[in-house]
Amino acid sequence: MSEKILQLSVDKFLFRFPSGLNYSESGVWVKFEGSRARIGLSDFTQQRNGDVAFAEPKEVGTSVAWGDEVAVVETIKVNLSIPAPVGGKVVEVNGDLLNSPELVNQDPYGKGWLAVLEVEGGEAARGALKTAADYMALAKVQAEAEILR
Amino acid sequence: MSGTRRKMSVVPCSGIGKSLGAAAREAAFILAEDLRPATTKIVALSLLVMGDEEAEREVAGGEAVAIDGCKLECAAKGLACSGAARVHKVAVFDVIRRHRGLKPGGVCDLNEDGLRLARATADEAAKIVDDADAEGGHA
Repeated sequence: MSEKILQLSVDKFLFRFPSGLNYSESGVWVKFEGSRARIGLSDFTQQRNGDVAFAEPKEVGTSVAWGDEVAVVETIKVNLSIPAPVGGKVVEVNGDLLNSPELVNQDPYGKGWLAVLEVEGGEAARGALKTAADYMALAKVQAEAEILR
Repeated sequence: MSGTRRKMSVVPCSGIGKSLGAAAREAAFILAEDLRPATTKIVALSLLVMGDEEAEREVAGGEAVAIDGCKLECAAKGLACSGAARVHKVAVFDVIRRHRGLKPGGVCDLNEDGLRLARATADEAAKIVDDADAEGGHA
């Protein structure tokens, strides 16, 4: 089954938002896999912040509350503290990012994933997130504001 | 060392609009004009891609250094298609990971971190040129 991908075109940029994912306002995508959640940076987030030089999720076993730092991502432009889009325990991290951080830019929804969390809060955690359409609307406002700046 | 030894071609990224590409080009100038003017020469990637005969002659059968900005490695790929006998690779994106904290900015005019990054990249490329010299290479 092919997943619908929403697309947003702003100026020369094209941003993609798979409809099967949820998104935090801070630009982190979440894919729920049973009681777990795989997370990564949205296409909009990776494009607006530039080439990723270091992507370092918290170690496996680390517990984070919603909004706590779950990863540090350094791009050639900025250092980002990535807030956890859901609370839980880190159970898996993407080891490929150690030597190939560019995967975050090249394949943000695939090979560029950051971590998997065992989610605390169940459905409540999901409810706090945005749908692809809602997040795309937010990204549109942010992208247009940046281009006008 | 023979006075007629062929100079090594230096082919920088032609990416326009990104500071990593600008750093790659600046590194090529530092290398060919300041660090190793006697043993290197710059060849424009755009000329190679367009099939410019003089540029192809410069590169064909010799050793070359590709200085790329990002992981797309356009310069290295362009060189691989140009008949160079041996292509050495330097990527600004990899250099920046060895110099954590640099935030290169600017395209027309690199900021201070961008210039530092270009210098570090040129130093790495110079080492490659020197190693090739020590092996008696370039042609």
